[in-house]
Amino acid sequence: MTTPAVEHVNQLPGEQVDPQAHHELDRTWTPAHGFIGWLVDTNQKHIGMRYIVTAMIFFGLAGLLALAMRIQLAFPENNFLSADKYNQFFTVHGMTMMFLFAVPIMEGFGLYLVSLMIGTRNVAFPRLNAFGYYMYVFGGIFLFTMLFLNTGPDVGWFAYTPLSGPQYSPGKRADTWSQMITLTEISALVGATVTICTAFKQRAPGMTLNRIPIFVWAEVITSFMIIFAMPAVMLASGLLAMDRLVHVNTHFFNPAEGGDVLLYQHTFWFFGHPEVYIIFIPATGFVSEIVQTFSRRRIFGYTALVLSLIATAFIGFGLWVHHMFATPIPLLGRLFFTGSSMLIAIPSGIQIFCWLATLLTGKPQLKTPLLFVLGFILLFVMGGLTGIMQAAVSVDRQLHDTFFVVAHFHYVLIGGAVFPLFAAMYYWFPKWTGRMLNEKIGIWNFILLFIGFNLTFFPMHILGLQGMTRRVYTYVPETGWGNNNLLATIGAFIIGLSVLVFLVNVIVSRKRGEIAGPNPWGAPGLEWSTTSPPPTYNFLYVPTVDGRAALWDQTKDTPVIVGLSHDKREVLTTTLLDARPDHRYELAIDSIWPFVLAIITSGCFIAAIFTPWAIPVAAVLAFIVLGLWFWRGNEPKFLVERLKATPGAPPPEVQRTFAAPNIVAQLKPGQT
Amino acid sequence: MTTRRAIDVSKLEPHVLDHRSPIWWGNLMLLFIESTMFAILVACYLYYRVVDFHQWPPPRVNIYPTLQQAYPALAIPTANLIVIVLSAIPIIWVDKSCLERKTWAVKIGLIITVLFGAVAIALRFNEFTALKFRWDDNAYGSVTWLILGMHLAHLITATCESVLMAVWIWTKGMDDKHARDIRTTCIYWYWVVGTWILLYTLIFWGPRFL
Repeated sequence: MTTPAVEHVNQLPGEQVDPQAHHELDRTWTPAHGFIGWLVDTNQKHIGMRYIVTAMIFFGLAGLLALAMRIQLAFPENNFLSADKYNQFFTVHGMTMMFLFAVPIMEGFGLYLVSLMIGTRNVAFPRLNAFGYYMYVFGGIFLFTMLFLNTGPDVGWFAYTPLSGPQYSPGKRADTWSQMITLTEISALVGATVTICTAFKQRAPGMTLNRIPIFVWAEVITSFMIIFAMPAVMLASGLLAMDRLVHVNTHFFNPAEGGDVLLYQHTFWFFGHPEVYIIFIPATGFVSEIVQTFSRRRIFGYTALVLSLIATAFIGFGLWVHHMFATPIPLLGRLFFTGSSMLIAIPSGIQIFCWLATLLTGKPQLKTPLLFVLGFILLFVMGGLTGIMQAAVSVDRQLHDTFFVVAHFHYVLIGGAVFPLFAAMYYWFPKWTGRMLNEKIGIWNFILLFIGFNLTFFPMHILGLQGMTRRVYTYVPETGWGNNNLLATIGAFIIGLSVLVFLVNVIVSRKRGEIAGPNPWGAPGLEWSTTSPPPTYNFLYVPTVDGRAALWDQTKDTPVIVGLSHDKREVLTTTLLDARPDHRYELAIDSIWPFVLAIITSGCFIAAIFTPWAIPVAAVLAFIVLGLWFWRGNEPKFLVERLKATPGAPPPEVQRTFAAPNIVAQLKPGQT
Repeated sequence: MTTRRAIDVSKLEPHVLDHRSPIWWGNLMLLFIESTMFAILVACYLYYRVVDFHQWPPPRVNIYPTLQQAYPALAIPTANLIVIVLSAIPIIWVDKSCLERKTWAVKIGLIITVLFGAVAIALRFNEFTALKFRWDDNAYGSVTWLILGMHLAHLITATCESVLMAVWIWTKGMDDKHARDIRTTCIYWYWVVGTWILLYTLIFWGPRFL
């Protein structure tokens, strides 16, 4: 059996592929060339990949800030960073990792993969999707520009009042915090809306609710969490901005006029705790997909896994007060939130047992993605255990704001999200680029990350127990914290090295990696039925689905969809529960207005640091732009005429590729 | 040469006007987001009442005449509530006419809706003074102004959206795609009306009972 080495073939329909259809779809769906074409592009794979690449850049930048902090803490009374710089660095590090790396990269994976996994040609709202990306990238550029101008926020990533209020934080640093939050949250909300509507309405016929791939479930559940959690932080940051803005001067968090600083903590953590699960749930989606593929069997306990995800999402909204145990909360409140914090270990435990059961009853193949997943299971359990410890109020009050907490949340977030993320990179890289990442370098990547991570964060448990508080820029030698801090610093540089190894792997493999073919892992998801990389329209024929493991379950009789227009960007809409074909739905063509609207909106938020009049002015401009966005027929000619051009005969190289064999048989489990 | 089974979908409708459309779902998600936002704002309002204030609203002492019981005035807010509730009538008519493809009714209905919206917006600007506090007097003033202001933003947005739809229908006529868009606008309008009934009750009657 041979894997076709050619690109741009859609093998799913098997032996009969119409080259003319391919050519017409290519004309209709491929964005225009050049810089303008790049700006107006609304293809979900391009937008998703931009999210992923941009988020990795911010991951690198925040990592550099972390290294600077570790150098400062390596020795007692070190002078590498001033206290002021240190404050800005830890704040921007935290904000970047949470808002510019973790959430966007999880959404980016979703935006790239969900449409491929459910068998459709683009997301439900392609222009809105592009708008979301631009909002995100403007938010990130804004934050780092302000840091560069020595106006980086220095109030911690949760910016508690009254420290962040007008009295204790004069200047514009805290405003940078609040406006950057608003920009990136808009982007997250937009991405969530797009993901939910796509997954609900555009699934391939046959993909009923109980056949949706677990990663898609994870993205949908995360999106719902975003929709119910993000408004809280937008409100928290918005109220803070209004309190701070000259000529507005509201009193939401000003105790002198009846305001309440604890209310800020409530509104922040009502978002802040679900945020952890917004990052973690997609990561568990990666794990489920990867465990299934590399165990060579269907995932054990599909229903239990999906219900665990939903349970996690629900319970995740009932935990926020455990971040506030050190504040005067009534005893009953503390007890309730202790109980719910312990409760959330149950769905997480169910998931871990399902993965272990799948691995133990399957025939695991220890490829790099699975290696990272095994690392994840170990580290996440450790992070989870320290989490349960801190659910107890008495323990929490001892450990509050110490390095123990820092160790805990890095175990949960790096162990629980970054390890699965690297697994996902190794797993889906062949789909994105058509080439495999190098396995040997991958193993080194894993070993270095695993060692470096534990060396950095395990000593922090001990430091915390010894009483070292977080966010101190230095300490005296007599504390005896020097050795563990030095260990942590060495570990941080090993993490940095492992990320460099990953970068080298990406650069080398992108050019010279082994050709992947459509389905190098023999995986069951629909995304593996199209070429690597997929054509702009994803599937030549929209597929249908016979079971949960789409490709493992399909037979020669599994039908495909025909009859969607080749001259318009048309997708098939199916019913919500049973995914029966319902109607055809035309997507809008590429447009510059999402980009323009993002400029106006982000300009508005940035100007609103200085004057409230930015908002009415921007509202008028935004209305005009939204009108143009809506108005059919005002699209630039070059975009419209591309669609009308009559495709000639397909070029010879396109005809050549249709020698592809029927790969249905190849997709059965057990053969790779 | 073998053939493959295929399902031909070319005969399916190109547009649907109800909850089967992705646009309908997108609009629903927007309403989820905004409802969550109002819910948290209401929670803040009640939190201030329970935790931070002995008297609600607080006595007005910094402006002459001072008031011991500074309850919000009811006349203009209640008049505006009636306007906003009545605006549901033309928008329901528009909604039904979209389903029946009665273009003339949609054209006229949208104009009436926009007029209702304009009156409501104008009255809303007078409603702020009914609160008897400025936004920068105290936390009570801040939170009530914000709730009124956020709802005003939705009133303006819904009215502008209806203006846009009206301009399109009057200049280009109504096809199925735009009938669907207008129905979505109608749902948004129902939401603006519905939320205001709750928020009005809270802001203008709440202080008398809380």
